[in-house]
Amino acid sequence: MAPAPFALVARSGNALRLAAVDAAAQRQGLTVGMALADARARCPALVSQPQDPAAAPRALQALAARMQRFTPMVALDPPDGLMLDITGCAHLCGTEAELAAQAMVEAGYTARHAFADHAAAARALVRYGSAEQDVRALPVMAVELPTDALSGLRRAGLVTLGDLARRPMAGLAARFGEDMVGRLRAILGEAGSPIAPRNAPAPIRAEARFAEPIARTEDVLAAIEGLLHDAARQMEARQIGGRRFAVMLGRCDGMRLRLGVETGLPLRAPAPVMRLLQERIDSLADPLDPGFGFDRIALAVPRTEPLAARQIALTGDAHAHTDTSCVAALIDRLTTRLGAGNVLRLHPRDTHIPEASQHFAPASQGPPTVWPASSLLRPTFLLDPPQPITALAGVPDGPPQRFRWQGQLHEVTRAEGPERIAPEWWHDPVGHHSPGGLTRDYYRVEDAGGQRFWVFRHGLFDERADPKWYLHGLFV
Amino acid sequence: MTPAPFAQTPFAETVAATNYSFLRGASHPAEMVLRAHALGMAGIGIADRNSVAGVVRAHVAWKDLAGIGDFRLIVGARLVFADDTPDIIAYPTTRAGWGRLTRLLTLGNRRTTKGDCELRLGDLLTHAEGLALIAMAGDAGLLASLREASPHLWLGATMPRGGHDARRLAQTVALGAAARVPLIATNDAAYASPADRPLHDVLTCIRNGTNIHAAGRILAPNAERHLKPPTEMARLFAAAPEAIAATRDVFDAIHFTLDDLRYEYPHEPVPDGWTPQAWLEHLVEQGGLARFPAGLPLAYRATLAEEFRLIRDRGYAPYFLTVHDIVHYARSLNPPILCQGRGSAANSLVCYFLGVTPIDPVEQKLLFSRFLSDARDEPPDIDVDFEHERREEVIQYIYARYGRERAGIAAAVTRYRQRSAIREVGKALGLTEDVTARLSGTVWGSWGGKGELPEQRLAEAGFEPANPEIARLRDMVGRLLDFPRHLSQHVGGFVLTHSRLDELVPIHNAAMEDRTFIEWDKDDIDALGLMKVDVLALGMLTTIRKSFDLMRGVGLADLTLATVPREDPATYAMLRRADSIGTFQVESRAQIAMLPRMKPACLYDLVIQVAIVRPGPIQGGMVHPYLRRRNGEEKVEFPGPPDAPDELRDVLGKTLGVPLFQEQAMKLAMVAAHFTPAEADGLRRAMATFRRNGTIHHYQTKLVEGMVGRGYERDFAERCFEQIKGFGDYGFPESHAQAFAWLAYVSSWLKCHMPAVFTCALLNSQPMGFYATAQLVADARAHGVEVRPIDAAASLWDNSLEGERVLRLGLRQITGFREEWAGMLVTARADRAFASIEDLARRADLPPRAMALLADADACAALGPNRREAGWEMRRLPPKQLSLFAAMEAPELGAEADAALPPMRPAEEVVADYQTYRLSLKGHPLQFLRGALAQRGVLTCAQVNAAKDGARVRCAGVVLVRQRPGKGNAVFITLEDETGIVNALLWARDFETQRAAVMSARLMVIEGQVQHSKEGVVHLMAQRVVDRTAWLARLDGAADAPAPLPNRARHPRDARILPQSRDFH
Repeated sequence: MAPAPFALVARSGNALRLAAVDAAAQRQGLTVGMALADARARCPALVSQPQDPAAAPRALQALAARMQRFTPMVALDPPDGLMLDITGCAHLCGTEAELAAQAMVEAGYTARHAFADHAAAARALVRYGSAEQDVRALPVMAVELPTDALSGLRRAGLVTLGDLARRPMAGLAARFGEDMVGRLRAILGEAGSPIAPRNAPAPIRAEARFAEPIARTEDVLAAIEGLLHDAARQMEARQIGGRRFAVMLGRCDGMRLRLGVETGLPLRAPAPVMRLLQERIDSLADPLDPGFGFDRIALAVPRTEPLAARQIALTGDAHAHTDTSCVAALIDRLTTRLGAGNVLRLHPRDTHIPEASQHFAPASQGPPTVWPASSLLRPTFLLDPPQPITALAGVPDGPPQRFRWQGQLHEVTRAEGPERIAPEWWHDPVGHHSPGGLTRDYYRVEDAGGQRFWVFRHGLFDERADPKWYLHGLFV
Repeated sequence: MTPAPFAQTPFAETVAATNYSFLRGASHPAEMVLRAHALGMAGIGIADRNSVAGVVRAHVAWKDLAGIGDFRLIVGARLVFADDTPDIIAYPTTRAGWGRLTRLLTLGNRRTTKGDCELRLGDLLTHAEGLALIAMAGDAGLLASLREASPHLWLGATMPRGGHDARRLAQTVALGAAARVPLIATNDAAYASPADRPLHDVLTCIRNGTNIHAAGRILAPNAERHLKPPTEMARLFAAAPEAIAATRDVFDAIHFTLDDLRYEYPHEPVPDGWTPQAWLEHLVEQGGLARFPAGLPLAYRATLAEEFRLIRDRGYAPYFLTVHDIVHYARSLNPPILCQGRGSAANSLVCYFLGVTPIDPVEQKLLFSRFLSDARDEPPDIDVDFEHERREEVIQYIYARYGRERAGIAAAVTRYRQRSAIREVGKALGLTEDVTARLSGTVWGSWGGKGELPEQRLAEAGFEPANPEIARLRDMVGRLLDFPRHLSQHVGGFVLTHSRLDELVPIHNAAMEDRTFIEWDKDDIDALGLMKVDVLALGMLTTIRKSFDLMRGVGLADLTLATVPREDPATYAMLRRADSIGTFQVESRAQIAMLPRMKPACLYDLVIQVAIVRPGPIQGGMVHPYLRRRNGEEKVEFPGPPDAPDELRDVLGKTLGVPLFQEQAMKLAMVAAHFTPAEADGLRRAMATFRRNGTIHHYQTKLVEGMVGRGYERDFAERCFEQIKGFGDYGFPESHAQAFAWLAYVSSWLKCHMPAVFTCALLNSQPMGFYATAQLVADARAHGVEVRPIDAAASLWDNSLEGERVLRLGLRQITGFREEWAGMLVTARADRAFASIEDLARRADLPPRAMALLADADACAALGPNRREAGWEMRRLPPKQLSLFAAMEAPELGAEADAALPPMRPAEEVVADYQTYRLSLKGHPLQFLRGALAQRGVLTCAQVNAAKDGARVRCAGVVLVRQRPGKGNAVFITLEDETGIVNALLWARDFETQRAAVMSARLMVIEGQVQHSKEGVVHLMAQRVVDRTAWLARLDGAADAPAPLPNRARHPRDARILPQSRDFH
């Protein structure tokens, strides 16, 4: 079976529009810029994912890096192009065409390419023409003017770049600006269009080699700390901090051990990273085995984030931390020790439905959200799912007088309520005419023993003749 | 008012909001009233947020219930304060209290911009006398100060089921006891029944600009804020039964109803020493003398005496005098403003002699008493049409004469219509704009009509009607339709009072500077019997006045509305040929189709023609019987019961036994079904407005059964009712038809005898009428008018005459050109003619955009360069010439090598013409596609019109008009090509399957069958419609850029057949 058409969607204004479509989607007539609703109407099978705006530039960077195997001169041509200066490189693959074929395979994407003597011409050809075309036959769109200038050209009867090229440049410049003439001349090869080869920032790395292999854990840790100081200096210069630190320990017998830690917030200072590494080493099933010693230790910071330089506390205590960073450090340590899925944080959700009004997320994912103030008294933890109880209550909406939970009878001595919460009709799968859910009447009740419960009647008297009761939480 | 039987039902809701608490209340006022009544409440108090806009509707609904019980209605407002004061409900206990409430609200309204009301506690304290107050919350301090301000004070207590109701109630009881303020039980109702909760949630989302998924706890947690039955309220307030009992005290304290709003007319127009009646009679007699210098004929005397008696009995003299005063003012200006009255009272001889109307009711046998019946307890209704460009002068006069304290414009209630409802509900439900745009946009929504979205339309738009999201959208849209959205000012409905207007109704600031409007709309004003004068704008009056001016200017004739030659045979001959483009009222597709069948030969034929092509008669199936009778194919009969077989002859005689006018339908109900005049009027009212009362079926049964009972055929009776129903929406009384017919005649006369003058005046009065400029110009050319192109060396701002049959297009035709630029150009040209474009640019000192528009419109051709070169030149001009160069008159720009631009192809010329001024004198876009069309066997419009009856043809053209009149069982499409136009008709069943093509095509190919009518009218009965819009883009070489679809429903005259050029935007 053919794969379902796929598209990436992005919000533009108030609407979701297709930001990219795959070949299957294209075959269905879907185009970039089309509203998602339109696309769905045409092609109900369409699978869509939100577009990650950073992903495409990232992928383009990565692709550019891979293209460096064909030539060192690779430039980005955003948003979706690469410019390769293959002067003197083509023979390495045979011919230009063979180079292109290999590059296409290497890229792994559906791509178009064009050769030209100049970057601007290549860009124009690949975007507005075909590989073999003469640049003079390209439409005037290739000079990339704003719409009004383009229709000005059309009004003047000028259709191709050749039409422009035959006209006095001064006249064009007076009307459409020097930039346009510059672009035109560049495409025609009359002006240089140098490419600016990509210059990827060097990764943060530090490495220590030992003529005499080291084996004692303290020595290893001291060496790592030294590398961390080195990395911290590099990061400080670039105003970044690390979110992932990877240590490679090279044993003199060629074996390599790897250690990695991640942090919730970007870090530069070596001490907390050291603590995390210590945790990691401690949590290893089998401790570091130095064998005959390590002759090489390398540190890499593969994931970084911007981190501004911080003012050191005036007390001179360079290790003074704010509360947040203390908690963050704790979370990092716990997460390192227990795993991200086991260190969770509660976040509020804006709804009246009690069990939906909070949710867990890994604590290392980000800072806490602010909880809204509420006058409602609710138990901190809810039973999930609510426990069925049998209750005796006044009709139609009286509180329970007594109820039985897990076989035990509770006489209600005090009760407050109801707090009436209706179902969210908009989640109703069959429209909102059917009940779609039942209204709940919540009561806070206290039994003879002073224990407090949060119970609810599921269904109003007129929604259901014999409403069920549930215990949803305990007040402690 | 008799006291209500509180003993059995000891509760009445005193805090009920309606949907006039915009986006907060989820039920119509009438729904609240009816629901409260149905629940067995003793009464209801309607109080909207800082407004009394909805109370008249509640009042009307309540009056419809009168006689059913002792159910009471009290009206007031919920005061919401800008300081921290909690909400306070205020009900006037007396008429004076009402005045203070409206002044209080006016004070708050006038402090802020449109739509808001900024009140502070201090304002209430100074206006509280005569107000019964319910504080919805508060502390001892607030209660003490309120107590001091008004003896009628309660503390509202609610049981919202919020978790600690009992505790809150206890606190409220304690607070009330401490402050010695009695408690009152209320549910603070925001809607009528629990089922309204989803709509209330949606409204909350719309108000907060969010959607249902993100709204969270701004939504109410439950559906409790509905009107609850008294037993339920008693149960909820079992702990404080006195709060339930207190509702009786509120009602007991209030002695005010809206019926107390006694109305007095302004006295301005009456000179000292005269009574209004005597002065009116004096003026009317003078007017009569002017028309009958030899003395009034007997018939006139009798009519006049009867009219005077009615006016005297009802005290309406000041009303007629006020209308006369306004009309008199408009005519006294120099130059005078053309105006003409219509409306129910305009049939009167009084109006004719006062000069308000041009129709002699005696001559036309119009009956006066039928509108001013004794039963119709409302002031007479006279609308006055003024030239649309000069109405503002009249409005300013009214303000000056009566003062802003006493003259106000009625509100226009903007309501949710399909498009707005779909858009906002869709957004609130979290659907994307695309989804809602697809459902509401032009293509899908413009011909909708009322009620729910048809399932079929959903399917066409690509949505599964069973999809829950879509089903919800559909249902919510249906519910939200007709909800008021906001108030704005009515175009010209004035309310005039004798005393302070702000003690009658709250006044708002309007968006327009120096404008204020009152909170009630025309229906409310009608229902309360207040006096209003409609000062309306009519484009055709402007055209006619401009025609008279032009004729006078070139010495063709000196005419006025009254002196246009009457009953001119050539004019009627022209109309019988259906040659009516540009005329008033009889120019639409449907009218044109009717003209050859009606064969008008006198003014009264036009009166019928104007009235018959209306939804009312069409829905009532009255058109064909009338035509058959007129053409002698059917005997003129008057259905009647055995006992009075001829009773309808008086009513329907003039229209050959077929009811065509609103008055006839009403009279018919009275004569044939023995309606009382009050019932007949109630019937009209039930149809026209306040439609949600559900009283209509009551009248239907009464009318149909009444007629059948008296021996009429059921079929006839049902048709009569159907027609009355149609009148409700689009009522057309005979006096309107008379007034319009006269203007239709005058405009036709002008078109017939002075085509250049008429076209020129028509173009200078745009936008108005039915046709686009291109059609008006083409029509003029077809009638022998020479039309000359826009020329910077010759054109004025306005279109002008260069001879009796020579029309010069003016600069106003260029889209985006400004009058002020035209002024600069003409002034500079007055010295001496321009020598070149550069000379023009320098001397007229026009901004670059103006120059570019001139060049683009090919208006510089006379100055040398062709359009393409001129446009090229313009792009080069610097934004502003340096004054040094200008002073030296030296060419600032250096010489430039010739760009040698390719010559412009004729197709490009035509496209550029259409893009810049929406018509072309050089050709038609279709002629350049003719080759391709001919290859596909497409005929020209001329060939189609000449084809044999029954021939199967294929025809192409740009779409001029798409119309779906009346019941909508057919769609009229008018296509135009270089040879003329073809009128196509598509049956609705075929339309639905090709709606997309029909609705969105600018260029259309239609396949169908040619049909000749008896009268020789040719129609193309369309079967298949193909959208060829993309071909238009080929014309100027932009083959790959498809022409964008028209994205909004527009008036046909505004539809661009070619997309606008984007050069300068």
